[in-house]
Amino acid sequence: MKLLKEPLVHFLGGALLVFGFFWATGTNRDPADYEITIGETDIKRLKTGWVQNFRRAPTQAELNGLIDQEIKEEIYYREALRLGLDRNDPLIRRRLFTKMRFLDNQEASDDNPSDAVLQKWLDDHPEKYAQSSLYDLEQVYLGQSPATDKQSISTILDGLNQGTIEPNAIQQAISLPAQLNQTDSFKIALQFGETFAAGLSAIPTGQWQGPIQSGFGQHLVKITAKTPGKAAVLDSVRQAVTNDWRAAQTARLEEAAFNNYRSQYDIKVADRE
Amino acid sequence: MMRKALLLAACFAALAISGCSKDSGSNDSGSNVTNTEYPEQVFWGDTHLHTNNSVDAFGFGNRLDAEAALRFARGEEVTATKGEKAKLSRPLDFLVIADHSDAIGATKAIYEAPRIALLGDKFLLRWYDMMHESEEGSLRVTAELIDGAAQGTLPAVLTDPEQQKERTSDLWISHGKTVEQYNEPGKFTAFMGFEYTPMPQGDNLHRVVMYRDGPDKTDKTLPFGALASQDPEKLWAYMDAYEKDTGGKILAIPHNSNVSNGRMFAMSKFDGSPIDTAYIKTRALREPIVEVTQIKGDSEAHPFLSPNDEFASFGVAGWDKCNLSCTRDMAPDSYGGSYVREALKRGLELTVALGSNPFKFGMIGSTDSHTSLATADENSFFGKHSANEANVKDRALSPQNLGTRKGRFGWHYLSSGYAAVWATSNTREAIFDAMMRREVYATTGPRMQVRFFGGFDFTEADTSDLVKTGYGKGVPMGGDLTAKAMGPNGKAPTFLVSALMDPESANLDRIQIIKGWVNANGKSQEKVYNVSWSSPDSRTVGADGKLAAVGNTVDLTKGTWENNIGAPELTAWWQDPDFDAKQNAFYYVRVLEIPTPTWPIYDALKFGLTLPDDVIKIQQERAYSSPIWYMPAAATS
Repeated sequence: MKLLKEPLVHFLGGALLVFGFFWATGTNRDPADYEITIGETDIKRLKTGWVQNFRRAPTQAELNGLIDQEIKEEIYYREALRLGLDRNDPLIRRRLFTKMRFLDNQEASDDNPSDAVLQKWLDDHPEKYAQSSLYDLEQVYLGQSPATDKQSISTILDGLNQGTIEPNAIQQAISLPAQLNQTDSFKIALQFGETFAAGLSAIPTGQWQGPIQSGFGQHLVKITAKTPGKAAVLDSVRQAVTNDWRAAQTARLEEAAFNNYRSQYDIKVADRE
Repeated sequence: MMRKALLLAACFAALAISGCSKDSGSNDSGSNVTNTEYPEQVFWGDTHLHTNNSVDAFGFGNRLDAEAALRFARGEEVTATKGEKAKLSRPLDFLVIADHSDAIGATKAIYEAPRIALLGDKFLLRWYDMMHESEEGSLRVTAELIDGAAQGTLPAVLTDPEQQKERTSDLWISHGKTVEQYNEPGKFTAFMGFEYTPMPQGDNLHRVVMYRDGPDKTDKTLPFGALASQDPEKLWAYMDAYEKDTGGKILAIPHNSNVSNGRMFAMSKFDGSPIDTAYIKTRALREPIVEVTQIKGDSEAHPFLSPNDEFASFGVAGWDKCNLSCTRDMAPDSYGGSYVREALKRGLELTVALGSNPFKFGMIGSTDSHTSLATADENSFFGKHSANEANVKDRALSPQNLGTRKGRFGWHYLSSGYAAVWATSNTREAIFDAMMRREVYATTGPRMQVRFFGGFDFTEADTSDLVKTGYGKGVPMGGDLTAKAMGPNGKAPTFLVSALMDPESANLDRIQIIKGWVNANGKSQEKVYNVSWSSPDSRTVGADGKLAAVGNTVDLTKGTWENNIGAPELTAWWQDPDFDAKQNAFYYVRVLEIPTPTWPIYDALKFGLTLPDDVIKIQQERAYSSPIWYMPAAATS
């Protein structure tokens, strides 16, 4: 398949496609239009292809056959273009579509964005990288569906807050930490479930509160300290920022390339404003 | 412009077959992550994910690359090949991209090549046209590929390593660069890996191979293909050479033993000769863990082998009649070499007979997804491959490319599984090392936390501080109990086990300990013990030794269940009541969730399908721990 690396092949193919239309109209017929040259490079390519398939060099007769086949194919190829057989062929359309997209994507990659570029990306998407709120908290697990009613819950909360009830005395056994220190809400969500993390954000600090629902059941919670989330510093999130910037860049360039083409077209669709 | 286009076209053509990649930079930053004293956290991952670099994945339509796969695993939203938005409910902690090493990137290269370049090759040209013509054409190509690989009839251009080398090398180096960009020690671990895919006559001998190292070392090697050799011993030799040449580390993970036709855990070598000590030692070293559950079925146990285990049939239907490509039927007498519990038992028999154990492995789950999407959630199943993604209406009932003549349909595919790793940090080194010491377990998707410790001195009171006592007085899952630790009085081993439900999933039904041992005649035996279960006051073990079922709250008309049966956490201290100090034994844990709906139910609700009676609609998802082994004094080496 060394043929694939032959720029000549692409030149031939590309040139034929681009100018095929004019040639096909029959005007300005160029004598070269009906000239086919099988050069040394072409012969080498044909030989290589043969070797790859058959594990030996072609005989002279076989090589002649290959060359004749090549000429025949080239003639049919040109005549097909003249007749416009490339049009309205879904296979060819799809193929050209894929090629164009590929070419456009090639313009994307800039592997080493500057700090300024990354900082701007970070500033434009602060929420994505912000450190989520950090909690210091104590929690007591009451069970999956404790029988306690509202009245007794508020008695328990009072007792906990006044120190007359020890958390251990009402805690149901479960292997979850009774205390969390400087734990971010993302980690808490992984450990206790989304609903629990959401519940935390709604209660005040400093007092036993609840019940708060988790994936395991009900908890009473005392947030002892809450550090609100803060914006990230580039150095601590550089890798993620670079990856995200690059991914967005690729998508943006592809879209821009398409829009660039599209803007040159006047598009009308029935029943569409 | 024209000139630029031509240059690009030339580069494009070269890339398709050989490559235009630029620098191969590796930036092994050296992590500043602190390891905890003992494994405090379980890390979740998928060790078996295919991207569009896998010949079949691309043929099935997958157009998402490694970068999309990594972004998805890290929790980013991506657009699946078929256009549906996809996002994990919770990110994963690590990912091994394991594309098929054979003809890696080849279908993509054929597809993207200029057609004129393939004119000389009738075989590839036909495939090229089929792939471009329609999706069905592309699926047919892929079926032919798998079949051709199974039959050994693929053309030289796809099978000759020399012809592959240049493309593979460029692809491998650029892949390493992508993986490195997404590897963030302490936050997310991206592993280099590949899948070694031998399937003689369609018998599955596949292994995922993963490296502990980054591109600074992996760039010096190329993935090893089954086209080079179908004999796993040759893979192990490749692994030896890699470690010697680079100072790196590497391990292999067998999977889908269920469609190996008895060959994955055969008592003989690849060529049929009997297993010897050298083979045993190498296999045990190179294959410390096995992938026991995944999309193409579950390989833990089979009812034929374990008639007294009422939960042995999970993920078996559709996968036990014929091998991977369905070119050969599988008779029940082949199952012994196909299911993991039986392999663990064979390992004990070999320990008695030859003094060491080739099948001393831990257990993980993984997806084997070919969509670049590492998801095992029932309610957002993205299918085995891109032709069966979430928005394909009839996928649950439609015939599959592999084995429908034997009754294998879409619904037989499982939305399973994940690998759980007890490691001291989220880094390549810590996760890899935990796998080497087998401190890992498998789940079929839910992220329940399972702890399992064995020792001779645990007491019932130790369950209150299970983890600390577990490490202090015993060994974790994957470890060994030796006669030496037992002391002279021959007392039976004790175990501490706990399972905490996934807070986003279902309650737990029960914890079981599965024991395998070898009796005085050298024959292996097995027994399933229920050691902890929900509602112990109302649920009792009957005369037949079976524990009363947990019940069922599934509402098939809504796709829901209630956590008002089962328990959020189960814990147990257990001592083997049938222990014989002279017998080799293993013990592993199986945790069952309460019944929940299978993915076809969610499809039926979404698309308004009527599912036939034989479709499995309710299942009990589960976890399998790595075993703890006991060796009597005489056999301890």
